Amino acid sequence: MRWIALLGRTGTVILAIGLALLIAWLIPSGAGSQFMWSQPIEPEQYMLRESGVYSPQNGLQISVNATDNVRVYLLGVTLVELDNWKTLLREAYPDSERPDSEMFFIEFYTVPLIFFHEAYPEQPLPDVLPLPDVYPKPLSMVWNITLLDSGLQTHPEIILWEPPPGSAFSHELFPEDVLNIMAVVANPSSDTVEVDVWIEEVVALAPKDRIIFPAILLISMGIGLTIVWLVSRKVRKSTF
Amino acid sequence: MGKGRPFLEIFTYALDEDYRLPILEIFAFLFALGTFAFVDFAVGYHRTGETIAYSLVNTLCGFPLMFIFVVLILKNVAYGLGSDLDRGVMQTLFSYPLKRRYILTARLLSGLGIAVLLFLGIQIFGLFLLAPDIMTTYPGTVFLTYAAHLCSPALLLAGFVVLLTLRLKRGGVALVIGFMLFLAGLIISGWVPSIAYNTGSDVPLKIWAVINPNSALQAYYYNMGTSLFASESWVPSFSEVLLYLGAGYLIVTAIFVAGYIYFDRRLEI
Repeated sequence: MRWIALLGRTGTVILAIGLALLIAWLIPSGAGSQFMWSQPIEPEQYMLRESGVYSPQNGLQISVNATDNVRVYLLGVTLVELDNWKTLLREAYPDSERPDSEMFFIEFYTVPLIFFHEAYPEQPLPDVLPLPDVYPKPLSMVWNITLLDSGLQTHPEIILWEPPPGSAFSHELFPEDVLNIMAVVANPSSDTVEVDVWIEEVVALAPKDRIIFPAILLISMGIGLTIVWLVSRKVRKSTF
Repeated sequence: MGKGRPFLEIFTYALDEDYRLPILEIFAFLFALGTFAFVDFAVGYHRTGETIAYSLVNTLCGFPLMFIFVVLILKNVAYGLGSDLDRGVMQTLFSYPLKRRYILTARLLSGLGIAVLLFLGIQIFGLFLLAPDIMTTYPGTVFLTYAAHLCSPALLLAGFVVLLTLRLKRGGVALVIGFMLFLAGLIISGWVPSIAYNTGSDVPLKIWAVINPNSALQAYYYNMGTSLFASESWVPSFSEVLLYLGAGYLIVTAIFVAGYIYFDRRLEI
């Protein structure tokens, strides 16, 4: 009888935890800052936008519409890793003729530049900067889709979302860590593609898709254990 | 009859008394919802690695949730133990074929052990749901931060209140003193950095770190003194942090040992 009582109280506690998760799930998420941009992407090129730092309670909703099939990725890099990559790039390109441009490029395009550096370790940085006299060839080198593919093969852990190619996408993502998240759109076709990207910050108590299953599981277990306890109490009372 | 059965009998009695329906359920609900409501990932935005893990646990062990936890354990040790002494239940418990120290252990296992399990279990489960990457990458930091917060104020206050309850033989006064000590701790933690700043010495910070090891942990992880105003930042090394944590637990152990000795040899009913 004591074991049933113990299981029953365990059940009521589990039920209380499950209900708390359910309430966290029911509280509606709020919308934060949002931004959008439209851009043509040249054939066999990709574009990347760093959209900011996100956390398990602060996710993002992304929508992409394109005039032809494109590949979309959400990449997430920890702040530590991003700092390490920036340091590596500064050490790799110490002698630049355009230090301001170099700093700007390393600061805002760390990921494409690290992909480039890994593919062409001997290539000096001035050759890849978007300088007027060498534009657009060096720029196209950095934004080449083959560099993106090789970079993602080397760092598959940074891919947070990779849907099949298409022309319309919509997705909500809450990272499992505090991450710097970037949106990448790649054009694998031989024609220029017009792309519209819309990103909205989503603020929630908890990622809904991650807590609903534990909530249902805990509530079911809790109800099951509590019912057994209550029934055995009723039987016991009617016996005496 | 061995020692196990009477021990379990007293433990079951203590569980029934400490957690009448729906006390345990209300606290479980508050801990679970509070984990999602009070965790603050924004504090980790400009920090890196294990500092984020520390900041997360630190926000969860901040005022609202830690206060609720302290309410639970002080209620159990002061009110539970106090009413046993006051109503004469302890005399009945002494009639069990069990040494006195085992009776106190059964009482504390229910009042403190179950509460700590509930608090830690629910928070760690919640953090695993929210940020599994952080929890699996830095389990050591999470463990250390919880250990520091449990040491002080939770276990330190519980120890004091056990001693007071046994000495006064009633829980009400001990409970009030316990809450006053909790509030005093909050006030003192604000004063200590100012004292360090005004005296230009980090000794007050070090003394406070013995009583409250989390301040040493904070100084270590945030890589600055416990205050932005301290004239000389105190940044302890990791081994020093462990020493302060060890010293904190030594004080807690000493208080509980004193309580056990008093209960075993000097408590007259």
